[in-house]
Amino acid sequence: MRFAIIVSFGLAVTALLVATTVSADPATGEGVFNASNCADCHYTQGPAREKTISDQLAKQGPELWYAGSKFQQPWLEQWLQDPQPIRIMKYNSVMEKNPGGHPKLAADDATSVTEFLMSLTSGDVEAGVIKPKKNPKGKLIFVKKMPCSGCHQFPGKKFKGGNSGPPLVGASARLNPDWIYAYLKNTDTFKPVRMMPNFGEILSDKDMKSVAAFVATFK
Amino acid sequence: MSKPIIVTATLLLTGLLGTVTARADEVEQVFGFYCAQCHGTEGKGDGPNVTDDFPVDPRNFTKAEEMEKLSDADIKNVILQGGPVASKSPMMPPWGKTLSEAQVDALVKHLRKLCNCEGKEG
Repeated sequence: MRFAIIVSFGLAVTALLVATTVSADPATGEGVFNASNCADCHYTQGPAREKTISDQLAKQGPELWYAGSKFQQPWLEQWLQDPQPIRIMKYNSVMEKNPGGHPKLAADDATSVTEFLMSLTSGDVEAGVIKPKKNPKGKLIFVKKMPCSGCHQFPGKKFKGGNSGPPLVGASARLNPDWIYAYLKNTDTFKPVRMMPNFGEILSDKDMKSVAAFVATFK
Repeated sequence: MSKPIIVTATLLLTGLLGTVTARADEVEQVFGFYCAQCHGTEGKGDGPNVTDDFPVDPRNFTKAEEMEKLSDADIKNVILQGGPVASKSPMMPPWGKTLSEAQVDALVKHLRKLCNCEGKEG
């Protein structure tokens, strides 16, 4: 009798562990994504669709077709459960502040949607190129030589940065460093129409890597 | 004048006005999308990026006394190459790899409308 109880308990614990460690299938997450009406604001099939400013202004939220290349999984899973505003300004606006209120997901839905979003990757992001590094060159370009801080909040001591672009504060946890570099290098591939200038033909490849490594350190 | 000629002339004139209007709408959209984030929607230098600790004052395009000192070529160069080409702040981005020449030319004309002024020759 005692042996049967021990075996039953052991099997139950094993089943519980298996259930909690098995990853959700991206298709499951896609189902939750669609059922939660996320697609009303976010499109998930690439390549980029926007051709005109009007196309971009018609969007309610950022495209997610390369989300798996852009975001870090732990951050994304946590954010979907407690979606604190990232942008200072409402998406596409230079007049209205971000009102917040992004829908939140329950933990198991956040896990499965994250699995889905992390499956959406871009072949234009090469892995293992950028390691976060506080480098003087990257800092000089970001803060002094180029207008990055003019639009993006960053962990500066005196000047904290501008408000029109998404803050880069917290980039070390939120963004894939390799994506930061890929985005600087080929911005049009990801977002053909956006308020940010193209720097791919202005900065050297080495400089872009320096900036990406620097941005990837932002807490 | 015969009726067909009147109708044709009216249609041509409407089409022409429509094209001019569309271009005015387009440059306003370009300005609102790219420029207003620092220069403000009315070009007064008060966009959302201009926080209390913003290191420079973006140009106020409505100030004729300042805009008259700049030639159209000066303005075009700064838009294309960024502030440093005119010894101004690098907070003014180089837009030359983002905007077309036609868009930049239209923006220069738009800025002249904002200041209701002409620039110096050159």
